[in-house]
Amino acid sequence: MLFFIIGAAIHSQAQINIGDPLPSITLQNTTHKSVAITSFKGKYVLIDFWASWCAPCRVGNKKLVKLYKEVNSNVQEIIGISIDTDRNKWLQAIEKDKIKFTQLIDPNGFEAHTAIQFGVEELPAKYLFNPEGILIAKNPTEEEIVQFIQS
Amino acid sequence: MKNIYSLFTVIMLTLSTTTNAQIVRAEIRATGLTCSMCSNAINKQLKSLPDVVDVTIDLNTNTFTVTLKEGNDLTPKIFKEKVEKAGFFIGSLVLTAKSNTLTQGSYIVVNDAKSNAAEIQFQVLDKGYVTEKEFKKLSKTYKNWETYAANNEDDFHIKIMKS
Repeated sequence: MLFFIIGAAIHSQAQINIGDPLPSITLQNTTHKSVAITSFKGKYVLIDFWASWCAPCRVGNKKLVKLYKEVNSNVQEIIGISIDTDRNKWLQAIEKDKIKFTQLIDPNGFEAHTAIQFGVEELPAKYLFNPEGILIAKNPTEEEIVQFIQS
Repeated sequence: MKNIYSLFTVIMLTLSTTTNAQIVRAEIRATGLTCSMCSNAINKQLKSLPDVVDVTIDLNTNTFTVTLKEGNDLTPKIFKEKVEKAGFFIGSLVLTAKSNTLTQGSYIVVNDAKSNAAEIQFQVLDKGYVTEKEFKKLSKTYKNWETYAANNEDDFHIKIMKS
């Protein structure tokens, strides 16, 4: 019972809110290299949770590809984090959607540790961090992201 | 104390007579305004049920397969409630059950498929268990079934699937 209560408490806390720092998480990229999501501090970092089978995410990818072209990459980094369990489907989707920004994978669906840590309950889910690594917006639109960066 | 024992015996007897009549597995396709697989809500709602052993998701068919505990006495209603609580609707519900399950609850079989198998598979056809569009179609097909039109939420009209 006690374990259950502790477990429930941890679980309910496992989500990040505005003002929280970027969690220190390391995941693999498309070439199996480990990438720490905190290694882009000093830039705005947009983290986008998605999966190849999530149709709204695929539509969103197009917008992110456009945003990535428009915004100076010294100012902003986009990190896509996929929760695909099938690595090949993930790689195919990246190619098909012509994604050039950082792509990482935590291949465990909604059970993925990263998804739980961020509190992702729905895809797509976006988190915008400022250059100090503090969360400043959840699910911002592309327009809102540009406004944040320019302000 | 003796009373507690006899109560216990009654419970055990009740349990043992019903263990063979149960839903074993539910295959749920959900619909809604947004992508049902893109939300963790249905999965969480289903997993919150004490009688659920496991929930697996088939991304190709958009189906949640729910495996249930031995000896449960769940009816199809619980799946509708849980899916709707998650903010979605049932698009189709196919259940696999011990064949004598049908003699227990208020199941009304609308087709004359006969099966001697230990487990049967059937689809629930009532309002809220199929899409709106399909329900309209089914209402015409089963217009002579008084109970179908009555929409009693504890009556389940089912179509046994060929095995």
